Amino acid sequence: MTIASWTQWICFVALSAGVVIGSLGVVLLPNIVYSAFLLGGVFLSVAGLYLMLNASFVAAAQVLVYVGAVNVLILFAIMLVNKKETLAEIPGLPLRRLLSGGVCAGLFLLLLRVDVTTPWAVPGPSPVGNDATIRIGIHLFSDYLLPFELASVLLLMAMIGAIVLARRDVFTVDVITGEDVDQALIEKMRTPLLVETTPTQNPALEATR
Amino acid sequence: MFVLPGYDAFLGFLLISAAVPVLALVTNKLLAPQSRSGERRLTYESGMEPIGGAWIQFNIRYYMFALVFVIFDVETVFLYPWAVAFHRLGLLAFIEALIFISILVVALAYAWRKGALEWS
Repeated sequence: MTIASWTQWICFVALSAGVVIGSLGVVLLPNIVYSAFLLGGVFLSVAGLYLMLNASFVAAAQVLVYVGAVNVLILFAIMLVNKKETLAEIPGLPLRRLLSGGVCAGLFLLLLRVDVTTPWAVPGPSPVGNDATIRIGIHLFSDYLLPFELASVLLLMAMIGAIVLARRDVFTVDVITGEDVDQALIEKMRTPLLVETTPTQNPALEATR
Repeated sequence: MFVLPGYDAFLGFLLISAAVPVLALVTNKLLAPQSRSGERRLTYESGMEPIGGAWIQFNIRYYMFALVFVIFDVETVFLYPWAVAFHRLGLLAFIEALIFISILVVALAYAWRKGALEWS
């Protein structure tokens, strides 16, 4: 083996170990914040694996979207939840663990069988290196133009849906001051003493306006 | 077979950048005086005393910004191949990218109109 292949082998082993150990940590650690940070590490390792497979654009997209955005979103979602709660003990936990362990082991055996029976030695098309991103761009603007434009519509829909869901207009009014208590139900920042629902049916409020 | 050029420097950069925090912590451990009592144990030695745990409830406004950021992050990823292949694509692709961006400007306008970008 040459030095280059040795380097590649070491990188592959390190990245795979990162993926496996990180995923185990994500599943097994009791603190959910540690799990979220480890998930970022797993995403980074997967990006490194993409890079080793000559897919630099996919690796960059992985880092940008998953590590940069999705993982941050997951962390914020965790931090929105106020505190740790001690959950009630689930009845029949050993049996459930046994069953899920059995299912996981079966799936793993299936994967192993696929790994063994697939003829991997077939040489695929030769990798194109840095031209891959250019080729993706050319395909995106010729063959896959409609999906590309539809992706923008999909992003628009996702944006509108996210805003509608996260910024739900809560019709609550602080009785004392008469002002709209924006986001009161969602944020629980301050709880007014008396919450008036549906302010249009409140004659006192109409007078203050 | 790994064919991407220029990643040897990247590997070296990665190793050096991984060594920086390790070296910083290890040299601190070796050189700093070993008193571990009183103020020394605080997170910020000369700052405010921290109250409570580190796990506090974030405001939902951070989440709104993160949501908007995800959308525009994905948009950026879509624009990367266009920017790289710009010289080979020509005017039509430029107009197509403009359409793509203008549809997402509608999303930005919606977010702006709904006050998702404001800190009120």
